[in-house]
Amino acid sequence: MDHLLPPEIADADRAFPEALAACGDLDALLRLKGAYIGREGSHAARLMDLLKAAPKEQKRDLGAAINGLKNRWEEALKARQAEVEAARKATGAQLWDKSLPPPLPPRGALHPLNRLMDRLVDVFRPLGFHVEEGPEVETEAHNFDGLNIPADHPARGSADTFYLAGHPGLLLRTHTSPVQVRTLKNLAPKILEMGGIRFLAPGRVYRKDEIDPTHSPMFHQVEGMLVGHDIGMHHLKGTLEYALRALFGPTTEIRLRPSYFPFVEPGCEVDVSCPLCGAKGCRVCKGSGWVEILGAGLIHPNVLSLAGIDPAEWSGWAFGMGVERMAMMLSQTPDLRLFFENDQRFLKAMGGLD
Amino acid sequence: MWIERRALAAELPAVASLGTRPLAETLASLGFPVDAIEARPGTEVLDVDITANRGDAMSHRGLARDLAARLQQPLAVLLPSPVAEGEPQLPVRLLARACPIYATALLTLGKGRTPEMAQAFLTALGAAPKLLPAVDASNELLHRYGHPTHAFDADRIRGAVSVRMARPGETLVTLDGVERKLSPEDLVIADEGGPIALAGVMGGEGSKVTAKTRRVLLESAWFEARTVRATAHRHGLHTDASQRFGRGADAAMVPVARDLLIHRLEDWSGATLEGAWTAGAMPPPPSTVDLPKELLTRVAGEPLHLAEAAKALKALGCTVEAEPGHLRVLPPTWRHDLTLPEDLAEEVLRLRGYEHIPAVLPPLEGPPQPLSRDYLQRQALARRLAHLGFHQTVTYGFVSPEMDAAFPGPRGEAADEDRAGRTLTNPLGLEYSILRRSLVPSLVEVAKQNLKQGQREVRLFEIAPTFRGLSRGPVETWTVALVWAGERWDADPESKAGPVMAKHLLGTLKDVLKSTNQELAIHPIEDGAFLVAEFPIQAFRTPDDRIIPAFTPHSRFPAVERDLSLVVPATLTWQAMHDAVWIALVGTVLVDVACADLYQGKNLPAGTKAWLLRLTFQAMDRTLVGAEVDAWVASALNAAESLGAQLRA
Repeated sequence: MDHLLPPEIADADRAFPEALAACGDLDALLRLKGAYIGREGSHAARLMDLLKAAPKEQKRDLGAAINGLKNRWEEALKARQAEVEAARKATGAQLWDKSLPPPLPPRGALHPLNRLMDRLVDVFRPLGFHVEEGPEVETEAHNFDGLNIPADHPARGSADTFYLAGHPGLLLRTHTSPVQVRTLKNLAPKILEMGGIRFLAPGRVYRKDEIDPTHSPMFHQVEGMLVGHDIGMHHLKGTLEYALRALFGPTTEIRLRPSYFPFVEPGCEVDVSCPLCGAKGCRVCKGSGWVEILGAGLIHPNVLSLAGIDPAEWSGWAFGMGVERMAMMLSQTPDLRLFFENDQRFLKAMGGLD
Repeated sequence: MWIERRALAAELPAVASLGTRPLAETLASLGFPVDAIEARPGTEVLDVDITANRGDAMSHRGLARDLAARLQQPLAVLLPSPVAEGEPQLPVRLLARACPIYATALLTLGKGRTPEMAQAFLTALGAAPKLLPAVDASNELLHRYGHPTHAFDADRIRGAVSVRMARPGETLVTLDGVERKLSPEDLVIADEGGPIALAGVMGGEGSKVTAKTRRVLLESAWFEARTVRATAHRHGLHTDASQRFGRGADAAMVPVARDLLIHRLEDWSGATLEGAWTAGAMPPPPSTVDLPKELLTRVAGEPLHLAEAAKALKALGCTVEAEPGHLRVLPPTWRHDLTLPEDLAEEVLRLRGYEHIPAVLPPLEGPPQPLSRDYLQRQALARRLAHLGFHQTVTYGFVSPEMDAAFPGPRGEAADEDRAGRTLTNPLGLEYSILRRSLVPSLVEVAKQNLKQGQREVRLFEIAPTFRGLSRGPVETWTVALVWAGERWDADPESKAGPVMAKHLLGTLKDVLKSTNQELAIHPIEDGAFLVAEFPIQAFRTPDDRIIPAFTPHSRFPAVERDLSLVVPATLTWQAMHDAVWIALVGTVLVDVACADLYQGKNLPAGTKAWLLRLTFQAMDRTLVGAEVDAWVASALNAAESLGAQLRA
């Protein structure tokens, strides 16, 4: 019945296998498909026009011939498409030299200081501590007054604290302690229903120190605070013992020494048994077996009163810790500036990603 | 503060039998950590840290007092024989509230010198002896007993002495040779010619004791702490005397220190006393403080006997009366820091040793609070970016004016609009003087440094506040910025590294910001060597607090994919094509419109590009039939053609 087909179609059909084989990619294949069986202008479309115009008695045979041809092309195209796709996959497989290491997905890193702060938050979460934050530009009221720091305290001077031009009462916070003041004030009205207050305040702080291996005008602190009924030094010691053991290991011992900060009374410095030498004595603990890690104390009644919390009913403790200092101690990083240089090799090695 | 072992033992004999290490540990456990121990000829010195509240401990005697209380050992007698006072040798008038008492004496000096022992003591502490007995004795007394005294050359004093506030315009050349312009808030010692000393801070050059001095007028006074602190601060003059008066001196030491100084001058130089007398009277003693038993028990964490507390407080010099349920405590004249019951509780615990405090976890009194959305979002963002190959940086919050001008920041305002409101009064230097409005300049700096260090690819991000200078002060917005520079390096030897293109960073942004409503923009910096993006971090848009979102059903019938190979105008945007096709097929079971392939090349007519448009159809309830799909594909083609697309031949 093929004699019913016009010669150019017969030519096209003869050329088809070669054209099909020449299609090396999907795009070429689609173009060939368009040319042979596309809706308009294709050989198949021409044949359909032919069929419409054909005499009635030829229609059946011609229709069958056209269908046969179309089906053959369609199937061949489909088969070739499968081949092309398979070949593409196979090409990839062939290129893989299995003796080479596989490429790893890209891997960045968190900054070591952030990782350490995150870890501290993780340690305190089970005790019901949440995170509070405050602005880096603070008022003197929050940074000093609310913390029972006297008006003529040297830390308020422009030699120690950065002030904002044009805003005489504004400064860059010198510690995370103003977050205490803000949080106590904010939560004072609902302290009873909350059953006290407990939070951590990690953040960046600023002091006017020249940049050198142990000083930086910007550094990080983590503040911790708890307010409740009948809170005493034993609660501070119990919490810090738990937290520092969670950080440094279960055999860690802690030691409280009397000290003084205007916003706590009693105040103390807290040492941990040296986590690097197991308290045997090394360079880091200067042979003493102890490393100073943070300052703490019971919240000064004036601080509670200033925030609108009755110190006769409520009491609490607070601590403040230098993040860089702890990071340097733990990692024995010799120079504080490395943390702000942000060399990718340092970040990958020291910060990493869990 | 340096403390010399033998001098400490002179005040507290029990120290002599204590090793240096146990001594240092005992001091530390009392709140006086020892920073260093150094050997000196025949002795050792300890560098002891004294906290700001303990001016009373800034001497050998002061530390010995606390050690004596801890060790329960007696102190040496302070002043064996007080000097009998007589008539004033010259008028001394106290005209300012800040100086209630002023003990003095007039002596004629002999020929003697500062003894070797005293010289060695001063040298061991790093205070060079002046070899003038009046000066060295005053200095030695300060270190030994903590009360500053002064000796004037009596023959250089003109007429009566008064202690008064400085008058406007008055000046004084202090011992360090500097001429000081005095403020009416400075307390001075003056004679009839004007100020001769800054009270409690430093003596005057004009009345100082020299080798030629024949007669000395001694000063042992009590100056109000606040006044001395202010004057020391105002003149930037922080001396041994101002540090002690500034933290609160012991008024009871006024006559004692004067008498000790007289004795030393008699012993050392063979001086003869012309007369000793005191102007004014003792300032009021500290107030009594009550220590309730409940407060002591709360602070200590266990019930302590009031009798034990009373014993400790008495050992520290307090006068204690036991009353039912509390102690009535009068602190000693040297302890200005004991004003609250908490202060007394601390003293009891301190003397007992903080090692005896029990360790107890505080009970939860209410439900734990959740972490805030904002905080969690930032944590998640940092983790996601790190997992996508970016490294978190921490850079300073302040930058130079040039860096501030280099990039507009996430809100895009001009730098000069608000810079004044972001400027520091007292920066470390111009390069750290402006609170930054953008993280980008700092990140680009870091990226450059990393490239210089040989990194092939640099991917960095920072999450930090940026600042806007408003009239009420700088306002902070948590901001994230990313920089991607160098080669795109995937460590695969079989695929080629290429330059980082904007689409890579854009893809990252789309990934991390999918749940926020941010407009995405990539900024090429230095001709695209650094691709950066920066935007304020907004709260997650989570309409639903459910842990798992509401169920959305998916089809179990096969999907049908149809491709249209199109030649389109080069200017046509994908968004336009995508939207047009979707609109044309509203109501159908179209589930996806994608560009499966892009071709741009010579084979195409100028001004065109080729897209392989891939349409995916899938019904929830049936298998699709060819005819209905054909019709939808035809509609899609019509829509594409209306945008100038043509089926590719």
